[in-house]
Amino acid sequence: MAKTTFDIFRYQPDVSDAQYRQSYDLEHEGDFTILDAILRLQDEQDGTLAVRYSCRSAICGSCACKANGKTVLACMSQVEDVKKEFGTETVQVDPIGNFAPLKDLIVDMDPFWAKFKSVKPYLIPDGPAPEKERIVSKEDMQKLFRESACILCAACYSECNSLAADPDFVGPAAFAWGYRFAGDVRDGQRKQRAKLYTGEHGVWDCTRCMYCNERCPKGVNPRDAIEKLGGIAFQEGRSMKDAGARHAKAFLISMRTGGKLNETVLVPFTDPVKAHFDIPFALQMIRHGKAPSPIPHRIKKLKEVQKLMKNVKETI
Amino acid sequence: MRRFAYYPGCIAEFSSKELDATTKHLAPMLDIELLPMPAATCCGAGDIAEAKPNLYLTLNVRILSQAEEMGVDILTICNVCTLNLRRANKMVKEDARLLESVNEELVKVGARPYEGTIDVTHLLWYISTEEGLALLEKQGPKGLNGLRVAPYYGCQLLRPSSVMGFEDPDKPQSLERLITALGGEVADYEAKSSCCGFPIILAREQVALKESHNALSQSRDAGADVMVTPCPLCHLAMDAYQRKAEAANATEYNMPVLHLPQLIGLALGIDNKIMDFKRHLVPMDRVLEAVGA
Repeated sequence: MAKTTFDIFRYQPDVSDAQYRQSYDLEHEGDFTILDAILRLQDEQDGTLAVRYSCRSAICGSCACKANGKTVLACMSQVEDVKKEFGTETVQVDPIGNFAPLKDLIVDMDPFWAKFKSVKPYLIPDGPAPEKERIVSKEDMQKLFRESACILCAACYSECNSLAADPDFVGPAAFAWGYRFAGDVRDGQRKQRAKLYTGEHGVWDCTRCMYCNERCPKGVNPRDAIEKLGGIAFQEGRSMKDAGARHAKAFLISMRTGGKLNETVLVPFTDPVKAHFDIPFALQMIRHGKAPSPIPHRIKKLKEVQKLMKNVKETI
Repeated sequence: MRRFAYYPGCIAEFSSKELDATTKHLAPMLDIELLPMPAATCCGAGDIAEAKPNLYLTLNVRILSQAEEMGVDILTICNVCTLNLRRANKMVKEDARLLESVNEELVKVGARPYEGTIDVTHLLWYISTEEGLALLEKQGPKGLNGLRVAPYYGCQLLRPSSVMGFEDPDKPQSLERLITALGGEVADYEAKSSCCGFPIILAREQVALKESHNALSQSRDAGADVMVTPCPLCHLAMDAYQRKAEAANATEYNMPVLHLPQLIGLALGIDNKIMDFKRHLVPMDRVLEAVGA
């Protein structure tokens, strides 16, 4: 028999505005998940404890929360594993991050669903429907294998560093779904999707903190999907349409001309207007020896690289 | 003496030359021989992966193959280079067909095909193991005189752990071990592995400056004398852009920021001229005074 203290985030706005943690002790044995614990507490100790859940099998994506600060699915996390991982006898349970709490562990998911809808997360085929189903090869479907596994639990949003700094960032799960359809051979909106996903708060706003890949309980790797959407944007002629795209383009130019990053190209190419008005900062950088050299570096065997740039075909 | 193919990355070679110079000076003291890679390209920094994923993979495998030809593993001093090289390495090591198709492209342009036999490591990983710390001990470090040092990991040396795998990304301890071994005090704070914002600092400056605020303000509040980072991109965000972050977040940090080898250099008494602190934007005076350098 194990004994665990659960420090659970409480917020009951119909009673008071206070947000605090409440401690509960439970004895348990055998397999016992965080969701099991919350449901038993609800049942035996405190009927006011609010949690959102449904399937208890890591399918529905309802019960994401933070256990000792780390976002998990409550139904998928064994209490003993969490204690062992953090070396504690106490498990702190909090609502997922980057969302406003509504009641205890339940957060307001409306902004998440609005962003999800904004990427048009459904197939939009071109032309009239065929008589029979649209056949997709195994190879083509495998390209979408990871993204298709997303259960919209928002674990990726919970610790997304871009989202924390910019609440309007469309975010990892929505973009995983975006790629799920932009990359589908049956979809007819690749060009339109490339435009839709790459504006302000879009694909180029991802700061690559990699929390989404780290936290996703289903191995979706949303950051990789964001990367692939960048690739699709380049294929669809959007490489000059946004400062983020031009930033990536500057790397390609540097690669072709010298094989190394050419900072003389990167800064003005990314944002010519800002570079022009940011003279005081530029002067400061120059004063501290951080001015890029006007002569670009040139690696040995650059021809190999230039040929690769010509030859290698993208297959997103 | 351990030999490595040295992959400093573009930033250490250009805007943060002080990092490259300090690393080169430090290497023999740590029993490392750094072999140059004159034909290695930029890793693409995530940008080429975001524009042309197949090209990213091919270019990075080309770099791995060059080290393989030299018969040594790669040593990096940049989080982003480490992630990009390790990721490409993992992709082709786990997928023989993918390796074959990448090699076809390499051979076509006269480059050497990759056999998948080398590893990529970061200086921090090398030096923060028991063996690494013993190498430091052998140098008889004069220490850091109780300097309060805030470890700042950033993101890409920790996550995704499936690619990086050196330590628990949620409870990293390598910098802490190093700081303590060098006679410093750890100033702990939560945001030590949150993002510095650098990848989007040119395209989305205001968003990026909100991100760097977390680590800068928290390390200040933890009473740190100085921050240390294993990544030159994090260093630019935290040091070169610090005044901008102060303006954007209406606060002051006054947080000097060391590159990882500079922290070791201070403890081992490497000449300040080599570490070239004048190239930092936030003055290092109070740190040098505290350690008597």
